[in-house]
Amino acid sequence: MANFQMNRRSVIRGAGSIAIALPWLEIMGTTRAAAATTKANRFLSVFTPGGAMQSPQNGSQRYWPGGTEAAPILSPIMAPLAPVQKSLLTIRGLAFECTEGSEAPPHNAGSIGMFTGSAPVQAAHGYSALPSIDQVIATRISKGKKAKASLQMGVRWATGLAKGRLHAANAVCFEDSATAAPIPPRIDPVRIYEDLFGRITPAQSNANPSALNRKKSILDFVDKKYVGLAGKLGQADRAKLEQHLEKIREVERGLELGAVAGAQCQAPKRVDTKGYNPNEGLLAEDEDTGATSTTDGMIPVVGKYIMDMMVMAFACDITAVGLLQWADSEAAHTFPWLDLPNHHHFYQHDGGYRPPELETIGIWYSKQHAYLLQEMAKVDMGGHSLLDESVVLFGSELGWPESHAQDNIPVMLAGGGGGLRTGRHLDFRGNKKEDDDKGIPHNNLLVSLLNLFGDPRTTYQQKGKDYCNRPFSLT
Amino acid sequence: MRSQIRSASAQPWQLGTLSAYLWLASGCIGQVDGVGGTTTPPTSGPPTSQTPSGNVVPANCDKAAPYRAPLRRLTTFEYNNTVRDLLGDATSPGNALPGEEEGNGFGNDADRQSVASLLAEQYGIIAESIAVRATVPMKLQALVPCAAKLGGAASTAAETVCVEDFVKTFATRGYRRPLAPGEAAQLVALFTTVRKSGIDFPGSIATVVEAVLLSPDFLYRPEFGVAVSGQQGLKRPTGYEMATRLSYLLWGTLPDSGLTEAAAAGDLDTPQGVRAAATRMLDDVRSQVTGAFFFDNWLPIARLSALARDPELYPTFSPKVGALLRQETQTFVKHVVFDTSGSLDEIFTAPYTFANADLAKFYGFSGVSGDDFRKVPLDTNQRLGILTQAGVLAGSVKSNHTNPVTRSVFVLRKILCQDLPLPNASLAAFIKPPDPYEGATTRERFAAHSKNAVCAGCHVAMDPIGLAQENFDAVGLWRDKENDVVIDAKGELQLLGAPYNGPVELAKRVAATAEVKTCFAQQWMTFAYGRTLADADKCTVDAVQGAFAKAGHNVKALLLALTQSDAFLYLSDEKE
Repeated sequence: MANFQMNRRSVIRGAGSIAIALPWLEIMGTTRAAAATTKANRFLSVFTPGGAMQSPQNGSQRYWPGGTEAAPILSPIMAPLAPVQKSLLTIRGLAFECTEGSEAPPHNAGSIGMFTGSAPVQAAHGYSALPSIDQVIATRISKGKKAKASLQMGVRWATGLAKGRLHAANAVCFEDSATAAPIPPRIDPVRIYEDLFGRITPAQSNANPSALNRKKSILDFVDKKYVGLAGKLGQADRAKLEQHLEKIREVERGLELGAVAGAQCQAPKRVDTKGYNPNEGLLAEDEDTGATSTTDGMIPVVGKYIMDMMVMAFACDITAVGLLQWADSEAAHTFPWLDLPNHHHFYQHDGGYRPPELETIGIWYSKQHAYLLQEMAKVDMGGHSLLDESVVLFGSELGWPESHAQDNIPVMLAGGGGGLRTGRHLDFRGNKKEDDDKGIPHNNLLVSLLNLFGDPRTTYQQKGKDYCNRPFSLT
Repeated sequence: MRSQIRSASAQPWQLGTLSAYLWLASGCIGQVDGVGGTTTPPTSGPPTSQTPSGNVVPANCDKAAPYRAPLRRLTTFEYNNTVRDLLGDATSPGNALPGEEEGNGFGNDADRQSVASLLAEQYGIIAESIAVRATVPMKLQALVPCAAKLGGAASTAAETVCVEDFVKTFATRGYRRPLAPGEAAQLVALFTTVRKSGIDFPGSIATVVEAVLLSPDFLYRPEFGVAVSGQQGLKRPTGYEMATRLSYLLWGTLPDSGLTEAAAAGDLDTPQGVRAAATRMLDDVRSQVTGAFFFDNWLPIARLSALARDPELYPTFSPKVGALLRQETQTFVKHVVFDTSGSLDEIFTAPYTFANADLAKFYGFSGVSGDDFRKVPLDTNQRLGILTQAGVLAGSVKSNHTNPVTRSVFVLRKILCQDLPLPNASLAAFIKPPDPYEGATTRERFAAHSKNAVCAGCHVAMDPIGLAQENFDAVGLWRDKENDVVIDAKGELQLLGAPYNGPVELAKRVAATAEVKTCFAQQWMTFAYGRTLADADKCTVDAVQGAFAKAGHNVKALLLALTQSDAFLYLSDEKE
């Protein structure tokens, strides 16, 4: 694989960003290596649906680690994570206090609450009252600094009744703005590759300046059209166009920023995803798909591909913030490679709570997560690995699949960014012997995560709430 | 309490996760209020901050009361159609856009069209590729006819004249209105700038195309309207705005030359003129495309080719069959609505359907050959109308096992417009759902819903429709028995009158309700006006429901009536 020079808009970079073209090591190497802890430079959220199969089976609990805080022993479901165990911080005893009393169905409420700490609220059309923390972090470390403020990638997303549309059951990231609008993920691996890596040519010199000027002329024209039309509209309609224009400008700024090239940035190998139709089950799909469907069967191939692209999007500094959404809370896809012919939701409770199948699914997700973290650990960012400078949050919309209960949600952190201290297992249940103890509100975790990125706030919760009062140190 | 939750097993409630968000705290009986029979959840209207006049029910409908017309953005469906008709690009480039918000159920809710970074990014990417495709040598002549006369070494002045001509034609179509003073000059200036920078002629034309495709005047449908004389506070859309309204409602695309000429001639300035244009449009095959889009969204058939079914349990079902089932339903509704009676009743009670050889084999129909769909009679002891079509039955079940709740909820919500509260997390914590492994039949497995008082409170109104459809398995094929036990397909629901037995009787009962008619019209209004209806839409709702009833519930008459309502003919003079 050749090193890639990301030069899409390098010509029109301002003088101030010239330094960015210098080799990475020269800029960052010495200072980072000298520092005791690595700054938190990347944040990745990983979402898998349906909670954790954590109820005791035959007398033993299959999900949470045993042992002690400092020397945890991985459970059967987490066993595949053994190679990266020293980079893991598992946390038991976090509950969605934010969804308590919500009139929304639990899957929706949990999807919205996981990364926002908010209940679904009517004023936001059933979505979140707060931005998701990844977006708050993106505003701090990525927006206006990286080619993309953040990247959301989904594997089998919105394939159920949502038929490809954004809905409270499948949206997990929300804009860092007053409206906290839901953010749709990218779902087509071919297009993701094309959009992120396909247009850059290996070690090519600067792109045609007239082509760049052409683009700039178009955007200048379009900018004026938005401003002009917005000025003639009423308040609500004007706000729509202003939001649109803001996004156009953000994308444009991103193009100008380009990305950092360096030894660590290697475009992922292009993977043949034939047989995977990301639109299958979605409205955009063509009428006749042919004789057999192989899309669900391709999930392992596509999932790995998307993980590879996410890792390289970080390594190439295309963004500092990402979401990997394996599925949405409808969990409407099957697992043919695990010989499970029903959809995930069926095994959670639609077809009755099925621990053996859920354990199989849980183990598979652990394997994927282990791969992701190992790939991040392989990338040398100049004296430390990509994983070292990252914080990876793994979560779900439920705690217990059999009941929809939203306590003891499966939360796992990984990485070393901001001094995140891993190789540990935290347990916030007051009485650790009791399965019934739901622990503390997970909003406290969200605050603690923001703190890792230098956000000094001490609480993160909806206005008028007061339960987020026990942020804990992750370092 | 927690341990009680933990020991709970099955949980069939997730069915509701994708339905309209309901804020009802309690009560499980559907409410149908007095506003023309439409169901209006008390708090499901638009947020008050965006409401110019508040959600206030007009005292009477003597004066036009259009309520809201928020700014609408083209949906992916509309974007694809528009690019096809503007540039001859049939590649559906809009499929690269991120998923719309489900919103009102049709993905076109103007209050739910926020712009994500990904949307802005993809608009830019697809506009560039559309513009390149539109200006390849083969297509440039059609797009810019004067280009042929320019020759190899045309003067700048000659090029400018040609481009002025092109810009006027192209942007006028793209913006769907005559250009304002100076607008053409801005586009010509854009052309000149890039042309001077060294880009060739086709590339500079592509630049103009790209700029138009990215303009808000193209992506959105701004409306300013003109005052209606003698009626203070009331506006009507301009002729061109009306042409756009009509075209996107009935054809899902930009206006054709006929509509634009009608607008220019002032023919669309009166309700009668709008009616005449709409009548012409409904007789055009293009309206069938919009019809198909509506039915894809209203019925659970859009995803049938991706339906996951265990081949061991359902050896004759395949994604191919799923696609055929969708085609069956679409062919059937097109036949009823556009080719024959147009009767809504026929949709629900037709003793026939459509099939080709492959689908007939799946169903077990005899005497059908070939790939083309043709009309086939039904065994009316088993099937009657759309609610007994296998695609609808399979699409309203999520797994390999039938679920009377999900089938009921589809009929109650989408066909009868009944509000059903969803079990929230707190409620889930109190209820111990039934064990799905018990009992030989689905009815037995769901028996706790009627035995347990807490469950029954809601499920007594939620299960009886699906229970009467138990003769159909999870791919919609007929069965007399389940696990060797004869299926009991009896049901009773207040809304449907006396007890009924089996899917055919159920279909007749549903068809006979007043709700099935008002609900169908309500679904169309929601789709047509691109938002969620509110109490303040009373005059529009009454007029449309009234016209639909007067026409004997003829669907084409309903579509025509959509263009004759206050919401369609007028605008509030308060800006949104």
